[in-house]
Amino acid sequence: MKRGNDFTVGLVVIGSIVAIVLFTLWLSQTSIGSKQRDVVARFTDVGNAKVGNSVVIRGVQAGRIQSIELEPTGWVLVKMSLDPDIKLPSNPVVVLSESSMFGEWQATIMERAAAPDDADVQQQLAQSAAVGRGSAIPGARLPDIAQLTAVAGRIAGDMSRVADRFQVAFDDRAANELRQSIRNFADLSAELERTVRSQSASLTQLGNDVHKTMGTINATALAVQHTADRVDSSTSKGQIRQIMANVGEASEDIKATSHDLRGASHTLIATQQQLSSVLTHADSVLGKIDRGQGSLGMMVNDPTLYQNGDALLSQMRELVAEIRAHPRQYLSVKIF
Amino acid sequence: MGVIEATGRWVRFRIEEAGRAGRFLEEAARALAAGRTWFPNATLQMRRLGVDSLPIGLLIAIFTGIVLALLASYSFTGAVPLYFVGTLVEKTITLELAPVLTGLALAGRVGANIAAELGTRRVTEQVDALETLAYDPDAYLVVPRVIAGTIMFPLIVGLAMIVGLGAGWLASLGFLHLSSEEFLKGARLFFGAFDIEYGLVKSASFGLAVTLIGCYKGLRARGGAEGVGNAATGAVVYSAVMILVLDAFWAMTWLHGRS
Repeated sequence: MKRGNDFTVGLVVIGSIVAIVLFTLWLSQTSIGSKQRDVVARFTDVGNAKVGNSVVIRGVQAGRIQSIELEPTGWVLVKMSLDPDIKLPSNPVVVLSESSMFGEWQATIMERAAAPDDADVQQQLAQSAAVGRGSAIPGARLPDIAQLTAVAGRIAGDMSRVADRFQVAFDDRAANELRQSIRNFADLSAELERTVRSQSASLTQLGNDVHKTMGTINATALAVQHTADRVDSSTSKGQIRQIMANVGEASEDIKATSHDLRGASHTLIATQQQLSSVLTHADSVLGKIDRGQGSLGMMVNDPTLYQNGDALLSQMRELVAEIRAHPRQYLSVKIF
Repeated sequence: MGVIEATGRWVRFRIEEAGRAGRFLEEAARALAAGRTWFPNATLQMRRLGVDSLPIGLLIAIFTGIVLALLASYSFTGAVPLYFVGTLVEKTITLELAPVLTGLALAGRVGANIAAELGTRRVTEQVDALETLAYDPDAYLVVPRVIAGTIMFPLIVGLAMIVGLGAGWLASLGFLHLSSEEFLKGARLFFGAFDIEYGLVKSASFGLAVTLIGCYKGLRARGGAEGVGNAATGAVVYSAVMILVLDAFWAMTWLHGRS
């Protein structure tokens, strides 16, 4: 009887202890005997993360947080136990965040470039990386729901105050003014619509002209391009150099011609001065003639002389005719 | 005048009671040294107080687990995911209900059993006979029961945790259409070995208190069958109260402030 008691009690005690230990290990997902890969990350703050929280890579659970220790330097080291087959990103970082709204946290291992584009997160990662490169993976913590809701609460409070102020400012008079403003705006819109319709034809024409102009510009650009191509080809064959030599010769000829022209110009100036002097004298002579001074003046201004001359010419013409009619009367030619 | 006297008598009685309890504890502690006396009886008491109490402890755990799962699903309406049923069942079973409910049940069964047995021995002068035979009554009667209670209570509670969580799991699968993965996700979400440790240490203190109170009340029994009945009743009442007091004590000293 006594041995039976001992056996029963021993069986219950040992069985209970084994069952409780296995239950604890199973519930805490502690693996005994299987190799695990330990990874350490450094954080300034781990929020509400706890030992046993999940470690996730690309959304897949890859391990658990094994320990969280506060270093004397103030940094928090989080040791994570990962499956040995898990391959880490080439430049890994660890981001702690809430996985639900109920206080669950998880550590996400990701590529540095894939870290959230948040200034605070980036600063945490940079600081962690600067402390000990290679000794621990840089880590950062996202704000938790409480912080976000606190910010949202402040925003809601601000909006409430704005709404209150708007309510105070928006009285009946403001409403009437706003209504009048809306009407004015409607009238303005109608006017603008009419203007747009009336100007649409002109705008269309202007658009066409612009279109043509652009075509012309394009053609010009093509021509310039062709010219440039020709210049380019000419340059390559030495023709430009010949043209420039010809231009140089022409320039020399022009320079000589210009010199000759400059001399001719001086001569012409002297001739002009002489001509001017002649004309002055001629003007003086003509003035005297016009005033009846001198022989020529008297001849020009005295009609008697003209009449006498004219009468003389008539008599001379009659005499010539008489001589032609009767040459022997007036001429007697004797030889010997 | 009568009221003052009554008050003074009540205070004196309580002080004397405290002194007797203190002397009892001292004698029981001193009796631990007499291993040859109490050790042969220890396994018998472990069998009677522990192994024989397993069915009632596990039965309570089964129903507790089922009720907790259904209670959690009733409470989690809308925003709270249903897998938190696993969290609530695990936390509540391991931290509170398995130790306390099992402790209360064993207080009734074990405490009353010890008080009635030792009370009968006292009123039938068997205890006096032991003293006449140079046996230390504390070493022969008290220490084996206290040792058995302190060891077996945590084991029963530990098994009750396992059974209770399993019952809650099955209830979630059967009644709540929760998958095993979801329930286990919730159960493991905030689980820590501390939960088990806390429940087991607490239940060990319950076992110590229940057996000590049962022994004290039994050995203090006077006046025949009525005195034995009063001792059993007092043992159950004081044990239940002490369990709740210790529950609050552990919560305040060990659980409070722990994140």
